[in-house]
Amino acid sequence: MRGLSLNILLAIVWTLFVGEFSLRELAIGVLLGFAILSIFPLSLGTGGYVRRTLAVVRFALFFIRELTAANVQVALFALRPHPPLHPMIIAYPLRLRGDNGQTLLAATITLMPGSVAMGFNPERTVLYAHTIGMGSVREARASLKKVEDALLPLYGQSAELQEDTA
Amino acid sequence: MSDFDAARDIPILLGAFFVLTAAIGLVRFPDLYSRLHASSKLITLGSAGIFIGVSLEFAQTEALSRLAAVLLFQFLTTPLSAYLIAQAAYLRGLEPLLEGPDEWNALGKAALLDRRLEETGER
Repeated sequence: MRGLSLNILLAIVWTLFVGEFSLRELAIGVLLGFAILSIFPLSLGTGGYVRRTLAVVRFALFFIRELTAANVQVALFALRPHPPLHPMIIAYPLRLRGDNGQTLLAATITLMPGSVAMGFNPERTVLYAHTIGMGSVREARASLKKVEDALLPLYGQSAELQEDTA
Repeated sequence: MSDFDAARDIPILLGAFFVLTAAIGLVRFPDLYSRLHASSKLITLGSAGIFIGVSLEFAQTEALSRLAAVLLFQFLTTPLSAYLIAQAAYLRGLEPLLEGPDEWNALGKAALLDRRLEETGER
């Protein structure tokens, strides 16, 4: 919270310096402010905020790349004479806890190559997904794990830590 | 072709291509669950391409901020509807065409169905 408010404050200060209040200057101000916060994490106490923001950016880039790959894959399946769909329904044991993270995971894998989320078990520890174009159950689980690994830092859980408890 | 503007028209053409393949996939894929792959993924990126091209045509801040809102809601709602359609079809017993295992059936479909029936009081 402290990091976000400092970032907004620095953006407003920047627009005052420039003397022009517009969406463009505000965006430049946010970027410059973020640079300042990440250069001085100790004195400003913004290390956590910087880390989380970088995790969000990294996840967004990963998401765009995977979404494009998913679209090329399904488009090719739609156009090929005999697409190797190999449909399966797999169970994926979740390491991610909490409603927000699990909702985001389910929404994300639906837009990722080869998988559509179908349901959770009543205890919310297993995600069921329909997959196409995956050679084996192991491969399908690995592709879901990649998404979960990218999401874990957003919720302050490290991938290594969670593997021990799972 | 005097009107061709690459920055504007290439995203629109790419988007239109993905929406077309989504339509082809909907017709050609064997069952509802496979068709959801075509409708959810392809429509999302296809419409994103068309929206990006249109907002570049206008090249105004309002158009870009509206584009961001449209994309955000598209990314939020498309997976939700795919999830609900798949779950409803599966729990109502529409058999998927599978070439691999059905781990949901093996592990927990019965338990979830029981809970649903209790919640809705159908039993």
